[in-house]
Amino acid sequence: MTGKYYINIGRQIGSGGLEIGKKLAQHLNITCYDRQLIEIASKESGVGKEFFEKADEKDSYSIFSGMFGMRSSLINQVYTNYFLSNENLFQIQSNVIHKLAEKRSCIFVGRCADYVLKETPNCLNIFISANKNDRTKRLAELQHISENNALHFMEKMDKKRAAYYNYFSNKTWGAAESYHICINSSLLGIDETVQTILHIAKKKMCL
Amino acid sequence: MEKKEATIALGTDNIWKLLLQYAIPSVIAMTASSLYNITDSIFIGQGVGALAISGLAITFPLMNLGAAFGSLVGVGAATLMSLRLGQKDYTTANRILGNVFILNLILGISYSIIVLTFLDPILYFFGASEATLPYAHDYMEIISIGNLITHMYLGLNALLRATGKPQKAMLTTLLSVAINAILTPIFIYGLNWGIKGAAFATMLAQTAMLIWQINIFCNKNNIIRLKKSAFRLKRRIVFDSLSIGLSPFSMNATACVIIIIINQTLTRHGGDLAVGAYGIINRVAFLFVMIVLGLNQGMQPIAGYNYGARQTSRVYAVLRHTILLATGVMLLGFIMGEFTPRAIASIFTPEKNLIDIAAGGLKIVFICFPIVGFQIVTSNFFQSIGKAGKAIYLSLTRQVLFLLPCLLIFPSIWGVNGVWASIPAADLLASINAGYLLYREYKKTKK
Repeated sequence: MTGKYYINIGRQIGSGGLEIGKKLAQHLNITCYDRQLIEIASKESGVGKEFFEKADEKDSYSIFSGMFGMRSSLINQVYTNYFLSNENLFQIQSNVIHKLAEKRSCIFVGRCADYVLKETPNCLNIFISANKNDRTKRLAELQHISENNALHFMEKMDKKRAAYYNYFSNKTWGAAESYHICINSSLLGIDETVQTILHIAKKKMCL
Repeated sequence: MEKKEATIALGTDNIWKLLLQYAIPSVIAMTASSLYNITDSIFIGQGVGALAISGLAITFPLMNLGAAFGSLVGVGAATLMSLRLGQKDYTTANRILGNVFILNLILGISYSIIVLTFLDPILYFFGASEATLPYAHDYMEIISIGNLITHMYLGLNALLRATGKPQKAMLTTLLSVAINAILTPIFIYGLNWGIKGAAFATMLAQTAMLIWQINIFCNKNNIIRLKKSAFRLKRRIVFDSLSIGLSPFSMNATACVIIIIINQTLTRHGGDLAVGAYGIINRVAFLFVMIVLGLNQGMQPIAGYNYGARQTSRVYAVLRHTILLATGVMLLGFIMGEFTPRAIASIFTPEKNLIDIAAGGLKIVFICFPIVGFQIVTSNFFQSIGKAGKAIYLSLTRQVLFLLPCLLIFPSIWGVNGVWASIPAADLLASINAGYLLYREYKKTKK
């Protein structure tokens, strides 16, 4: 093995992306970071967890939210980077990702890690999708909600994730050109997908 | 690393020390930019005449609207720029710079064309009379032709700050104030160019600074610099920066509408001199308000960080300190306005009639100044702790929601004095409102 490597996973909700990340981590014996990133960022910066969570939940970066969400200063001509702005919180999370990556090989799920680590060598960027039916079923099971609710929730989350990724990474969420591999987990099932990714990862990182 | 240490200091250092450290640079910058307006008004009032000051006051909303268009692009682009720089994404950062350049070009030229085409009707609508129109026209014509330069200058200055060169941005502001202050008297007294001289001086000062900025951004040693390839507009950059800039833009645009209404009402009830008096009062009031806005900028990171870190006592400590300082500043304005109004007004004009009206107005308008500091700081406080909606609301109460009804009712009863009285009345109501919201917030965090 030559040095550290990173696998960054973007995923549709209900596609099993997190599970795939965790299984990959087990196989490779490295750590998989998902929501813990928020906790670490909160601990490192001293800023409460709920502020990061709130920034995550923003569903749009549209004109409307620009008007009423006040993402910038009111004062004429003055540019102020507000400490609790989503941009600043994203920066804090990015610093945490860089710090973790400096220490060890890891897998990052979400948080635009592929963009944050774009200058870091040995990254494999993956996007995981799945068929709509599989996703709703999975979601309904995991969250104990009806399939109808799951479908609704799914559409909302897709929108949020796309808005977050597109704004912060300046790339397009789920578009093939934003990643190295895009894979539909319905095609082979979770475990086979993990194996496939492992195969590619080993080739690329010369493990 | 440096950044992290600064963050920790926000949570541990002495509040007074932090507040002064963060506030002093912004207070200087804010004071400088309002001095710019004040010196222009003084030279025009003293060198050209009382009607010229009225003519100048008629152009305020148009000038502000121009600046508002500048902030529409500049503020959003600066936010995006610092986001990209934080990620060391220099390709996109360069793209943003190039796009800002082009966007300002488009907006700046369109604004000039529209304003120049309809200049006289616009000025009449804004409250100009046969007597003041020539002054307003002469001044605005030059300012509109140079509007593109103003846009570019303001836009690039915002980016200069965002690209980690706040000292250079500050120096640009200070230098343009200085150049303007030197050239204006030469043009007005030496060359007898009248009000046009003031406009020329403004444009020359901004042109000089724009050349300097472009020079900085073309420097080959800079990571962020103007490149031909970056000029092509990118939909996402344009969309994102405009959407971020929309809220400062709409606040500025709303403020313009209010000034138009004030000017129109004053023309109706008090004639040209009343408009000129408002021009003087507005400039003086603005100076004090800008200093408080500078203090706000200093409070922002300290309140924001500590609120995030749930250090409630530090959050309210910095708020208290800022309110204390702001009240001190506004109290100074209050004392000057109440006890030496004639002295202040006579800085701007030798004309006795105008001094009388302006002094009377100052006394009324400044009457609530001791509590206005509290109101402005509180509304910014809400933004600092991430409650943008409340901040917008509080800002609107003072400048629109409470002011507009007063402006529509009072003048029909008390004439010109009614216009003056509307302002402190709105200030008072808005302060009470802000106090109530702050009290509720305080109770909530105490629980």
